[in-house]
Amino acid sequence: MIVITGASRGLGKSIVDRLVSKKERVIGLARSIKDLEIDGFECDVSDYESVKNAAKEIKKMKTPIKAFINAAGVASMNMAVTTDKSTVQKLIQTNLVGTIYCCQLFAPIMLRKKQGHFINFSTIAVSLALKGESVYAASKAGVESFSRTFAREMADFNVRVNCIAPGPIRTDLLKGITDAQIQKIISQQVIPKQFQKSDVCDLVELLIDEKSSSLSGQVLNIGGV
Amino acid sequence: MDKAVVKKKIISLIEGLLEGNTEEITGDTQLVGGNTMLDSMKLVEVCLELEDLAEENGFEFDWTSETAMSKSRGMFRTIDALTNEFVNQMRSES
Repeated sequence: MIVITGASRGLGKSIVDRLVSKKERVIGLARSIKDLEIDGFECDVSDYESVKNAAKEIKKMKTPIKAFINAAGVASMNMAVTTDKSTVQKLIQTNLVGTIYCCQLFAPIMLRKKQGHFINFSTIAVSLALKGESVYAASKAGVESFSRTFAREMADFNVRVNCIAPGPIRTDLLKGITDAQIQKIISQQVIPKQFQKSDVCDLVELLIDEKSSSLSGQVLNIGGV
Repeated sequence: MDKAVVKKKIISLIEGLLEGNTEEITGDTQLVGGNTMLDSMKLVEVCLELEDLAEENGFEFDWTSETAMSKSRGMFRTIDALTNEFVNQMRSES
């Protein structure tokens, strides 16, 4: 069984569709599950009790978790000086704290079986220090740092933790970003082309496959930095 | 299940995890901190085993509370503290 947050839209939804097409059993977590096309539970990753309740429900299913994918996230592209207080809090609370809550509360289910894999999401904005994304990049830099260290904590239990850092993928998170801005970011990648949601899904498939069992604590930058 | 039985089960569980490489375990034996015999991996295994024991007895053992890892007042500071917390949670849910 694979559990994924942010399953109702954007990148999370694309990953759900890909995994379902590969006959994986996928359970979605989302703030609203009315649009989910798979089984799922309501879960606001920024709320500890909400994540805890979702973990309880998943545990009751008594099915091993093959992978937990932290795809829920929010973005706001602004310079730090023009970002309001509530946006700062929302970015950190959802992207960083939400990822931590999910990892710490779902990890025991995997530790018990001594198997599983967490896939967290960062952004290429961290490595490239992209102007206008300071708070968003800070929240995701936290996810990278947490993932690398959490991977060491989980290694004794045969649980792997990796992080995918996409470049500018066409999702709702990119609303308001002009084509020129996207081209500028892409030009800084090792492979200067715009990758798609399907490329992220490919990497997710690779990470949950046993063929990637040597990888943990890594940040995989799509397009390269 | 009374407190003495819980304590005995916890001591037995820890002795099993330490595979005999230990001095006598008593109620005062520290679980976290400087003199602990358990590494972090074994401490997690204790928690998972206690989750199972709680489930067998019809309640849920929560080891993720804010005070769980506090050295001064947390449930992991000694065997007795862990026993008390387990029994308290069992009684509050029954």
